[in-house]
Amino acid sequence: MLKVIAACGNGMGSSQIIKMKINKVFKKLGIDATIDHTSVGAATSMASNYDVVFVAQNFVGNFASAAEKGTKIVGLKNLLSEQEIEEKIIEAGLDK
Amino acid sequence: MILKDLVDKKLTIYEEGFDDWKEAIRANAIPLKKEGYIEDEYVDAVIACVEKHGPYIVIAPNIAMPHSTEGAPGVNKTGIGFMKVEKPVHFDPEDPEKDARLFFMLASENPEEHLNNLTQLADVLSNDDLVNDLLDAKNDEDVLAVAEKYATEE
Repeated sequence: MLKVIAACGNGMGSSQIIKMKINKVFKKLGIDATIDHTSVGAATSMASNYDVVFVAQNFVGNFASAAEKGTKIVGLKNLLSEQEIEEKIIEAGLDK
Repeated sequence: MILKDLVDKKLTIYEEGFDDWKEAIRANAIPLKKEGYIEDEYVDAVIACVEKHGPYIVIAPNIAMPHSTEGAPGVNKTGIGFMKVEKPVHFDPEDPEKDARLFFMLASENPEEHLNNLTQLADVLSNDDLVNDLLDAKNDEDVLAVAEKYATEE
């Protein structure tokens, strides 16, 4: 079971959209995952408890320390593009 | 159909263009304020949010979703305000992918209702053909026509 967190500036808009979209793509790819969502502020301190963090591209830098500890950070440019999400899931090796 | 709801609730506005993204956000907020969903305090918070975090509210090409936090001060009711702008609004002068013409301002006072709205909105905006049609919309009639055209796909 993959532990995933989706984060955005405030945890009420984009992070929920990311959560919906990645949930859809995980299901399509047959990947078993639990997905939480929160604000970037809260997520930075929790990130190392997760296998992977999904954020809008401009927040990737906020997660440098979690990345050092082995959490995968996936930055998305178009939050609505299931194609981009699928490509990045495969790129990060989450389907393995 | 969420687009029809926004028209029915009088939460739509159509504009030519803005030199400054802050003006665009203030214009997006006008119908929500008029219908009692939000106060100026919330609009200020939304602008402060973009200043703090950058233009991440442009969630996809052409689509901006200005918002602050759930249950933020100045939010009275849960709803989404729609604005269509003819000329792209620039959020990042260096990055044309952060230009927006479709604005959906989120206000949430009830998490459950908000999530329901947001789920519907994400579905609608994931349809590229629908988004292209919406980019051509100039008034409520056009938006209702788009809503009608894609209503069966929900």
